[in-house]
Amino acid sequence: MRRLYSSLVDGRGFDLCLIGIPLAFLIVLSGVPLVYNVVMSFQAVDMFSLGSFIRPWVGFDNYRQLIAQPEFWPIMGHTATFLAASIAGQFLLGFALALFFWLNFPGASWLRGLFLVSWVMPGLVVGAVWNWLLSGDFGVFNFVLHQLHIISGNVFWRSDPAFALWSVIIANIWLGTSFNMIMLSVGLSSIPADLYEAAELDGAGALTRFWTITLPMMRSSIGALISLGLIFTLQQFDLFAAITAGGPNNSSNVAQYWAWDLSFKQYDFAKGAAISVIMIVVVMLASVYYVRSTRHEVRG
Amino acid sequence: MSETTKNRLLLVFALLLAAVYLFPLYWMYITALKTGSEMFATPPSFWPDDPQWSIFPFVFQLKGMSQFLWNSTVIAFGSVALIAVLGTGASYVLARYRNVWIDVGLFLVLMLQVLPASLMITPIFVLFTLTGILDFPRTAVILAIAAKSMPFFIVLVRATFMSVPMELEEAALVDGNSRAGAFWSIVLPLARNGILVAAILIFMQAFGEFVYSKSLIQEIELQPSSVGLNAFMGPNTNEWNRIMAFASIYVTPILATFVLLQRRIVSGLTSGALK
Repeated sequence: MRRLYSSLVDGRGFDLCLIGIPLAFLIVLSGVPLVYNVVMSFQAVDMFSLGSFIRPWVGFDNYRQLIAQPEFWPIMGHTATFLAASIAGQFLLGFALALFFWLNFPGASWLRGLFLVSWVMPGLVVGAVWNWLLSGDFGVFNFVLHQLHIISGNVFWRSDPAFALWSVIIANIWLGTSFNMIMLSVGLSSIPADLYEAAELDGAGALTRFWTITLPMMRSSIGALISLGLIFTLQQFDLFAAITAGGPNNSSNVAQYWAWDLSFKQYDFAKGAAISVIMIVVVMLASVYYVRSTRHEVRG
Repeated sequence: MSETTKNRLLLVFALLLAAVYLFPLYWMYITALKTGSEMFATPPSFWPDDPQWSIFPFVFQLKGMSQFLWNSTVIAFGSVALIAVLGTGASYVLARYRNVWIDVGLFLVLMLQVLPASLMITPIFVLFTLTGILDFPRTAVILAIAAKSMPFFIVLVRATFMSVPMELEEAALVDGNSRAGAFWSIVLPLARNGILVAAILIFMQAFGEFVYSKSLIQEIELQPSSVGLNAFMGPNTNEWNRIMAFASIYVTPILATFVLLQRRIVSGLTSGALK
């Protein structure tokens, strides 16, 4: 008993206890559900068998049926568009802003930090605000575009099938740009200034310096940020719930919203699980890349 | 062009950029203050002629927001407390040692960070139903958020622990402190700021959490503000000033906290999130 106590206070037991309890907690509440999800995707599940573990095994039937559904490929396509457009928009705008604020005038760092309010706001609030900004008849977004002569008539962002997905993408780009900017600022500030001075002496213009110094020096933080963006974007749920709810007619539906919709609205838990498994595989691949980009730090 | 003129021009341009970027926030507050007819005016008015300040207490009453905000607070505090207690120790151990097992543990934590909540919700729902935790829906949501957000906390706080010099701890051990004593009286106080910042970030996230609350809490009187706001926004709503008032009341405490602690939050976030 005494040995146990002294080990807990002063030895191996101390570390094992500190790391063991949280890991056990995470395994019970994340690891087990993950495995359960995979198992469920190979079983026939309905409302009544949801709580039991022994259910008829159906192999890949859920997956086959899922892929056979007419909305499967469109929704996968929307997911890819949502990912690519969101990440590209957030990254490019964030990079441009980070480069601008890098000029380091008085007040730059405070103002730059202020941008992050978009990232700390609840997703539902961001969704509500953009829902109103993008409203077709009275939305101020349409008004501004009209004043700038970009559009001539009102665009019904949320209810026109051609634009519904883009209304969520616009909101998501707004939400994530500031995070990209802050993270890229860190990468920029870690580049030694004398590299630029030397290049300038050698007669390299601003653009050459950007291509030959800035981009290569930031390769690992860009890689980490893009995979992180992929992970965040695949987790985005609140904006869909607040702006379009996947509609009209699935034109803005994406995999992560569909999975929830199948399980909690249509009570088709097996198909919901199947789509989850497909997505989790994608997310895992992204996170392997993320871990690899930051590997130097992990090994320390 | 002199240095000061250049700086001034840059600052003006930066303010302009910030104004454009933060316009949605401005629009939220302004819309809340507008009258019903002014809200649908063309061209839209960018300044309310007759600000309706009474809308805030009105919506607060009408929608029973005190209960919603209370539930959000309970859920956010519960998750932060659980995450801080469990996560701090884990990040300390992950920061102090270098071996294969630590790498495995870290990899596992990072992997669990990436699972989308909307995909994990079904198995968590089943797990909580079977164990009876679902009878206490707010506790269920707290547990689910804790499992979801703890990896993020661990990643941030681990970076803080790595910046605490190991020599200080070794000196305390030489002076006769136990491991637990040195951790408690030397390492923790030095890492306090980093832990606080990470906790505040987690609090903000949990305060706005939606998908777990929406799926696990059926009783309206136990739901947090995010679910309340979602229920308020029907497909054909035209009560935009009231919705924006709801959103303003909900988001202002978060914005105030953020602006007050901005510098620390940004530095805490940048020290760990990419590592």
